[in-house]
Amino acid sequence: MLLNLQPTSSVSIQYHPFFGPHDDLVLLELDEKLLSDVLYQRVTLRGQPDEDAVLCTKSKTYLVKFVGTSNSVFLIPPADYSTSHESGGENYNQQVPTASVIKVAPGNMELVEVAPRLDKLKSILSENLYSSDEASTAMGDLYKWDDLINKVQASDDELKAGLQALSAVEIDGYWRIVDEKYMDVILRMLLHNSVLNDWSLDSLVEDKVVSVLESDGFPRKLVYHCLNVYGSRVEEAMDGGVWRLDARRVCVHFARGILREGKRKMESFMEEWLRMIPEEIQPSFDLLEGEVLTEKLGVETWVRALSVSSLPTTPADRFSILFKERAKWEWKDLEPYIRDLNVPGLSSEALLLKYTRRSQPSIDAEPVFSAR
Amino acid sequence: MQIQVKCSCGAEKCPEWAIIELQGVVEVQPSFQHSLQNLQIGLLCRPSSQENYTFTVGYHELTGSKVALKKPMVVLKKIKYMDVATSSSSCVELDVVGVIRHKILFKTRPTALISGPQPTVKEKINAAGA
Repeated sequence: MLLNLQPTSSVSIQYHPFFGPHDDLVLLELDEKLLSDVLYQRVTLRGQPDEDAVLCTKSKTYLVKFVGTSNSVFLIPPADYSTSHESGGENYNQQVPTASVIKVAPGNMELVEVAPRLDKLKSILSENLYSSDEASTAMGDLYKWDDLINKVQASDDELKAGLQALSAVEIDGYWRIVDEKYMDVILRMLLHNSVLNDWSLDSLVEDKVVSVLESDGFPRKLVYHCLNVYGSRVEEAMDGGVWRLDARRVCVHFARGILREGKRKMESFMEEWLRMIPEEIQPSFDLLEGEVLTEKLGVETWVRALSVSSLPTTPADRFSILFKERAKWEWKDLEPYIRDLNVPGLSSEALLLKYTRRSQPSIDAEPVFSAR
Repeated sequence: MQIQVKCSCGAEKCPEWAIIELQGVVEVQPSFQHSLQNLQIGLLCRPSSQENYTFTVGYHELTGSKVALKKPMVVLKKIKYMDVATSSSSCVELDVVGVIRHKILFKTRPTALISGPQPTVKEKINAAGA
């Protein structure tokens, strides 16, 4: 009624019979496009009591922030907002109709789109890696999908993508990250059998691979997982269930294995790496971008592991670690390590501006990025 | 922890709430501080067919207009209840009880009305502005 006040009429604004602080009533400002998600009950708030609340739709995550106001914002509910019908609300018996203020709002909540907080996902799933001696080591917390929703501040779609990025696999309802050493055992067995049975790494027949490895003692689920982690399904295959191993993923796997114990001299690394890579795969050092760093110490070039997947997902933390690893970076080396950074509203140029200092030793030299 | 955001009134029937916003603070005479309920704050008038409004609080008259909010707002009510299953924890739910799309905004300095009785409620100009 207040909103449809007719020309030349008046309404008396009163304090509602139940006027009060009503801390349980809050205002939330939203974009129009989010309004229907909220009204149709498609959003949830997620997080632990000690974390800032985030609001999640099916595919996006928003930080909830309070914005105060120094204005007086009188909140007026519709006429029937009251458990008592004798008083309050709008009253047409009086000469002048009334509208009642239930609360003076100190401000409102607003939403800021943010990247999902997936670092926590990685750390909780890493508590209990799935390894070959699973039976004896499966203690501590294991997480089902619903447990992950409760712990990780991300929307359903973002959580699924996060699990995929971690190469996590669902075993007996629990989401697990498989120990790298165990993955190595399975992959080597697959490659060994490929040689034995003359399988082409470009067209591995799923049923054959699974049955052979299963008879070698590997759980079926893990064989499929191995194919997923190191290969891709060949879509064009007529009878489905054909896989092609991915050169980059296989090469990175072996590089990480070699460098797990520490850095190596380039010649030594290359010799061992080339020896381990199956014949059918063409290795090239470029495949290792975002996974290894090379540095010159004296006359020697050394290689050490630094995987972008081990770095924090938040830009500030990411750059901090990168600059600890190396004080100055050229763009070609830095790019693979920040390519995946996701900040809604910030381009990679803006990220560089915000978190790095750019310098150029001379006109023809490459620009160099260092900490701010 | 996951808190469901519900809309128990139903999306299509979600009522529209209103906001009257002023720069300043409404002061209540000390003797009325503890019995505000049902006390009149002021009179809101719409003099013509335009969306202009006057709000008379005590001996001040404010002029303003109804504006559409740049972004809509929802009114959420926090509901706490005990989870029967795990009697130790209390659950929180949020219920959308209203939608706000317009407000009647007063942002000019009030004009003083010369005659009239001593008001129980008066408007005080916020010196800092908003």
